[in-house]
Amino acid sequence: MHEFLNDQIDVIASFCQNRVIPKRIRWNERDYDISNVNLVHTAREGQKRIFYFSVSDNTNYFKLKLDPEYLEWHLVELYN
Amino acid sequence: MSRIILHIDMNSYFASVEQQANPFLRGKPLGITGKHQERSVIAAASIEAKKLGVKTAMSTWEAKRICPSLILYPGDPEKYSYITSQFNSIFSEYTNYVEQFSIDECFLDLSKTVADYLEAIVLAQTIRERIKKTCGEKITCSIGIAPNKLIAKLCSEQVKPNGITTVCKQNVLKFLDTCKLRDLCGIGNRIENRLGSLGINTFDQLRKFPLEKLVNEFNSYGYWLHESAHGLNDSPVINTREEPKSIGHSYTLSENTEDKNEMKNCLLGLSDRVAWRLRNEGFVARCVHVIIRYSDFTTMAQQQTFTEPTSNGLMLFKIAWQIIEKWLDVSKPVRLLGLSASTLSKGNEYQSLFKKERKVRSLQKSLDKIQNRYGSDAWTRASLIGVHFKKRSSGFHSPNSPSTM
Repeated sequence: MHEFLNDQIDVIASFCQNRVIPKRIRWNERDYDISNVNLVHTAREGQKRIFYFSVSDNTNYFKLKLDPEYLEWHLVELYN
Repeated sequence: MSRIILHIDMNSYFASVEQQANPFLRGKPLGITGKHQERSVIAAASIEAKKLGVKTAMSTWEAKRICPSLILYPGDPEKYSYITSQFNSIFSEYTNYVEQFSIDECFLDLSKTVADYLEAIVLAQTIRERIKKTCGEKITCSIGIAPNKLIAKLCSEQVKPNGITTVCKQNVLKFLDTCKLRDLCGIGNRIENRLGSLGINTFDQLRKFPLEKLVNEFNSYGYWLHESAHGLNDSPVINTREEPKSIGHSYTLSENTEDKNEMKNCLLGLSDRVAWRLRNEGFVARCVHVIIRYSDFTTMAQQQTFTEPTSNGLMLFKIAWQIIEKWLDVSKPVRLLGLSASTLSKGNEYQSLFKKERKVRSLQKSLDKIQNRYGSDAWTRASLIGVHFKKRSSGFHSPNSPSTM
């Protein structure tokens, strides 16, 4: 099932060699450990650069959105 | 000295990017579609889907009929543009002569970078590995290496996915003789049929056909056909972006409609987007072109030229709506609306003598600043509140715009 969402989430991430790597997300009061960061891309919203992380655990694909201006994370896509 | 041209063609591009992003789509037949899947076409099919008979530009219902297990997945143009910029920047590290032919195809002129074809092959392998490392292992490309763009493009079509095909100058004719006429970029169905009616079905026959007769039949295109049959093409790899000839958007409505207000809203939204892009790139337009596609897939296209160049959304809308009022077939529901502005020139609109118009233009400048800062959704007309264009529609993304919808 492929869903488009815009849910604010909590994320544990590591910052390593100029890269942000999401490690765990908390969504709907449940924790999901990220096993793979498959693709990272950026897009512009006005002057703002938004980061998108296409990540997965063993059963789900998540697309995460990071707004670096407000340091907010959103879950914008889910596929399982 | 003979040139060495690379043509790099990403394999099943949009589908490969999605398979890279989402591992649960890997190894499965996948079709990338527009926003309304049931009313859309296949923009790209994965390698697995192609093997099952799914082809690009096929309607989704036809693709599903051929391949019931096909996964339909909405395209994400922002993602594709980003990956394109990634691999383009890799190419630019090796030569200054990089021509982006489309979102997933590039020509590179390596004549001044490498000494011979062997070195070009090594470089092609390096580029392929770098793409894999930077963009992901599912994103692969086929590369053609040849003395000109025409043959290089033909070469890259030979081995898919992930192939490298080289044809050096002395083997061009032999290579062409193994290809069909319509494999060549520039020979489509109609040209092939016209050639067929002259008894030309192979490159060898095309080569032997008298040039005068070709020119009689095809005018100046005859010269191009004659040269192509000899494997000749001297068009350079152009590394500068050509100015656009027109700027436009089209939108397939979520449902067919006969409601003129709905059409007006859609057209006004499209006009604002087109005008925003015109202003953003510093253009004004003197011609508006409107397309209406009806529910039976018949299409009406009309255009109107005007004297005063504009980049104002409301002005474009008014002209476009006049066209629609005149030509709309009210007996048929409308499926798609499109608007494009052409006869473009660099510059601003004329300074108006009227205070009200000057005020509107001044307001427009302020609104543009807001949109530049906060993105295209930062403001909307009161009449368009409640009108939302679906986000993942390819027509609403422009990599050159400062914001996307």
